[in-house]
Order: sequence, then structure tokens, then C-alpha cells
Amino acid sequence: MYFEAELKGKKFKVDVVETRSFWKISIQKEGESWQHFDLSKEDYKRSESYFSFLFKGVSYLVDVIGQDTLYTVYTRNSFQSVKIFNDEMLLHESLKRGGGMGGDKELRSGMPGKIIEIFVKPGEIVKANKPLLIMEAMKMENEMRSTGDVKVREICVKQGDSVESGAVLIKFDPV
Amino acid sequence: MFKKVLIANRGEIAIRVTRACRELGIHAVAVFSDADRDSLHVFLADEAYNIGPAPSIDSYLRADKILEVAKKAGVDAIHPGYGFLSENVHFARACQQSEITFIGPTPENIEAMGDKLSAKALMKKAQVPCVPGSDGPVETVEEAMKVAQKIGLPIIIKASAGGGGKGMRVVRKEAELESAYRACRSEGQNYFKDSTVYIEKFINDPKHIEIQVFGDTHGNVIHLYERECSVQRRHQKLIEESPSPSVPPEVRKAMGDAAVRAAKQIGYVGAGTLEFIFDNSTKEFYFMEMNTRLQVEHPITELVTGVDLVKEQISVALGNKLSVTQDQVKQKGHAIEVRVCAEDPITYQPSPGLIRACRHPQGPFVRVDSYAYPGYEVPIYYDPMIAKVITWGETREEAISRMDRALSEFILSGIKSNIQLHKTILRHEKFRDGSYTTQFLEKNFELLEPEIFREVPEEVFLIAAAITAFNDRKSKDVRHLNVFSQWKRVGRKMQLRL
Repeated sequence: MYFEAELKGKKFKVDVVETRSFWKISIQKEGESWQHFDLSKEDYKRSESYFSFLFKGVSYLVDVIGQDTLYTVYTRNSFQSVKIFNDEMLLHESLKRGGGMGGDKELRSGMPGKIIEIFVKPGEIVKANKPLLIMEAMKMENEMRSTGDVKVREICVKQGDSVESGAVLIKFDPV
Repeated sequence: MFKKVLIANRGEIAIRVTRACRELGIHAVAVFSDADRDSLHVFLADEAYNIGPAPSIDSYLRADKILEVAKKAGVDAIHPGYGFLSENVHFARACQQSEITFIGPTPENIEAMGDKLSAKALMKKAQVPCVPGSDGPVETVEEAMKVAQKIGLPIIIKASAGGGGKGMRVVRKEAELESAYRACRSEGQNYFKDSTVYIEKFINDPKHIEIQVFGDTHGNVIHLYERECSVQRRHQKLIEESPSPSVPPEVRKAMGDAAVRAAKQIGYVGAGTLEFIFDNSTKEFYFMEMNTRLQVEHPITELVTGVDLVKEQISVALGNKLSVTQDQVKQKGHAIEVRVCAEDPITYQPSPGLIRACRHPQGPFVRVDSYAYPGYEVPIYYDPMIAKVITWGETREEAISRMDRALSEFILSGIKSNIQLHKTILRHEKFRDGSYTTQFLEKNFELLEPEIFREVPEEVFLIAAAITAFNDRKSKDVRHLNVFSQWKRVGRKMQLRL
């Protein structure tokens, strides 16, 4: 099965073939040549929630969480998000991208919390990576910053508000 | 001995106190909020009672509900742990009035140290060095300017009732003074309903060094040496060690003596901690505040002195004399503690959620105080600290390499944690040579993702994700086929029968 993957902003092509006794995996980092790895199924163990394989003589117990196109891989106290698409998904993703810009033009809360301070006003143009607001969750104050240059259309919360996970905090217009 | 003790707390500290109770043959009573029914302290206790909704203001901070449960369960004493009601003078008094022993200092002790300005005045009386400053509230900008000129810049303005990093401003230039002064006043008013501020000299090479003290009801006070807690982020401690690599023996003795004088000055009873700011360039130390409770980092003191601080608290609460004299308390070897938090190590965003895999470090001289287990969902309502790993070694080097080894054994998945951040800090040269200050994480430490996660090659992540994506796709298809063919087979059989 052929996939395109993205890890830490870098693009990869990945091919997975399952045989009776091997996982045959080929990886091509963008601009580099293909690398092939045969992982023996004798060294591949799978339990309900995690699995383990040997890679270059090192055993990795990995836990992979996610579905469809986004997975988070935990192993040896490191973790990385991997975006992964096969042909059908690639098509799906490109359709979504073309279908309007609603999704990315909002700041949503990732978890329930309390709004401590808001730094921007409606109509204001905010440069990328500038602080938008401070939210408190789990006794910690977290600064949320803009990911790109935007214009603030509407601020949907006020200082002191408690918000649920996924609540829209600020709406933006493109600049 | 007490028959029953209620532990008015949650998480690892509730478990720590439960352990001490169990070892002493005391029945341990847990309390829990709606969010904590599945929390480990509830399972480990002998009895457990619900005290209300998830937010701590409606449960763990409700003195009335906790006392009601205490009476219902018929307990002799309450241990408050740290945080929550542990330094609440009204709660300590309410326990007294209900004839339930509060395992901690007297209400008067808490009161004396609760307000930073009155605490400082008491410390001066006990000849404990304090940071030069305004010696009292600063009422106007003009007055603030006068103080600044007297003690010299840089200075720090602090809200009198402040804490946890809120209501503090550093001023390095005279021009910044007015706005910093006003900001501090308003933060004090907003967060703590008290706009009183004071001014102190700002220390350039500051280390956070604290002395553990213990008093009994017979007037004896001892100290159990120091802990260095300079690895901090936003005034939250991350790594602690004992002894401090920066304190020379004669200064250690002076700090211990000063801490004992301070505790004697207020007739202190139970476990307490004198926090000092230590100037690493001059080796001078100044009193900051006193915590009138057990500290998160108490295990490192337990490991180097061999004294079980929680049992000692219970013993002192029973009216016994301290089990050790000052001469009997020795610092042996070196201990380190790291705080494992459910948070992203790069962005520091909290990461609550379901723990999938969890296996704690083991092996010689490793202690783990944790409430994590596989299948437990870390709630969003409380502190993100889920575990403490503590190691002991003959030398500092051994304790550090043992900690590195222990952290490598820690398996935790489903939530993000700062385990790998800790390993990166332990390997940093400024940590290794002991020269780190409280600004270490902000100034000397660049959080680079590849640095933190360099141990695992990126192919491993790709292979793991690709195999999972492959299996997910395949299992969808297979299920589809199977269901279809089963029905077909049944249909065929039916037809044959007819």
C-alpha cells in the first residue's frame, strides 16, 4: 500500500507490503533515494493497544493513536505526529482544501479552560506568531499565538469566561 | 496512635500519606471529587468519600464538606497534603474546634508566615537575613522611586498577597518603574483582592535553596538540610536535588542555623520549609518565605537523611518529641527528584487525557511516587504533575546517571509528558556543573525539538504510522468481506436445506 507522509514538516513516500513473514517497508525522504527495511514478523509483536518491532537491532514498543490521516506515535518517551495519506485520502484532502476556508479561520480552544487576557481587538491585523490571548487550563497559563497573518473579525469570548473544549474563541478574515 | 486519618488531598501526595498511615496501622480515609472516582488514591485508601463536583473550589477546597465527612467517618486527624487546604488558617482552626487533629503547624504558625510582610518582620527579629527592600508596603510611585534609589537597580516589585509567579515585576531602568508599579498593584487586586505591594533588591545570579525544618510541641526544632530547586519554569519547580552543588559547608551550616532560629521564633510545630534566595556569585542567602506544610520535593530529604517526614508529622501531631536530634541528622549521598507532568515538553501546553501504556521505572535506589496507571484518564481540573521520580546515589554524578537510566525505563503513552525534557536538562552542562540558576530554563536552555527527541530515528515513527495506517485500511476491508461472505454461506446452506 502506497502512502505519502509528513513528519516534522518533511515529506516522505512510504510503501508497505505485508508478506507471510515480513513487513517490507520502503521510505523515500523528499530529495533522497529510497531506503528499504524488512522487519521480520518474528520480531513483530502486537497487543491490543500497542505493538513492538525491532529496527536496526533496537526494540521499540510503540503506541499509535489516531485515525484516517493523522497519527501520533509514542515510543521511548518521544512522540511525533505523522500525517499519512494513501491515494484515496489524497483526493479527499485536496477536495477539503478547495472547499472554502472556514476551518482554519478560527481559533478554537483545545481543552476546557478560562480566558485570562485577550490581546487583540476586532478589526486589528495580527502578524504571524503574535500572542492572541492567554487561556488558563490545569493551573497553567497558556499563550495562544496566531499561525499566520490575519485580520480579527470577531472575538467570541471575554476575559474571565470559562470555555469548553472546541469552543470558537476568535474568528479571522484573511489578510 | 491515631485510629483513622482523613487525607484531604488527591494524586500522588494522597497516596504518599496513605502509605505512611498504612505502615503505622492507621486506617486511611480518602476524599474525592466527581472527576476522581477512578483516581488511584481512592483505590488505595481504606475508605473513600465523594466530596462534590470536579472543580477544586467545589470539592478539595470545601473545608465544610471535608469536615462533615471527617465527622461522619469518625477520624481522629486530618492530613492536608500540600496545596488545597494545607496552608488555610481557617481550616486548621475549624479542625481544632471540631476536636480533630490537624496534622500540620498551629493556626498561629500559618498566620505568622501567611503574610509576606509580617513574615519578613519576624525573620528580622530572629536575625535571619532578608533581601534589602522597602521594609513594608509602598504606597506611591514616588515612594517606590526613593526605595529604588536607596537599594539600587535592578529591583523587583511584588504583590504582598502574591504567589505562583503572579503579581511580580522586575525593574531594570528607572523609566520602567512607574508602569511596573501600577501593573503589580492591579494584578494584586485582581488575583488576590489586595493591592499592597513591596519592593526588594533583585538578585542577578539567583538560586532557589530551601531548608527543611521540623518542630515539635516540646519546643525542639531541627533542620534536615537543604534542597536546591533552581530548575524552574514560570516559578514552578521541575527538578530538585539535595545537597545543593553550590552551597559551601560553612554556608550550609549558617543556613540551617538561621532556619532553626526562624522556626523557633514563631514556635513552629511540624514540617516546614524556609525558602531562601541564594546569590551564587556572593554565596549570600536571603529569606524569601516559609511554607508551612509538607513540600512536593520532600522525598529527596527523606532519601539523604533517612527520616520519613510524613511519619514524623504524624508523630509530632500526636504530641511526641522529635524522633531524632540535630546531631543525629546526617546528609548521606545525593538525591534528585524530577516532576513528571502531563504536558508537551516543547510548548508546555498541558496534555490531559487517557493513559494507554504506563510502566514505572524500577531498580536499585529508584523511588517513584505516582498516581498514573494504564487506562487512567488524567483530568483537566488539577495540577498536571502525575509522577515524581526520585533517585539516590553515593555521589551527585551517580544520582544523575541513575535518574537518566530510570527515566529511560519510564513507559508512558497516550498523553504527552516532559520525561524527555528532563533527560535533556540532566545532560546540559550547566546542570552538570551545578552552576544553573532559576533563570536556567529561560536563558540557557533552548528547547529544540530534534534535541529532545533525538534518541528515536524518524524512520521508526514513519514505520509505526505506516503499519498502523495499513492495518486500519485492511481491517476495514476485511470486515466488509467477511460479513458479506458469511451471509452468503448461510444463504447457500438454507437453500440446500430447502
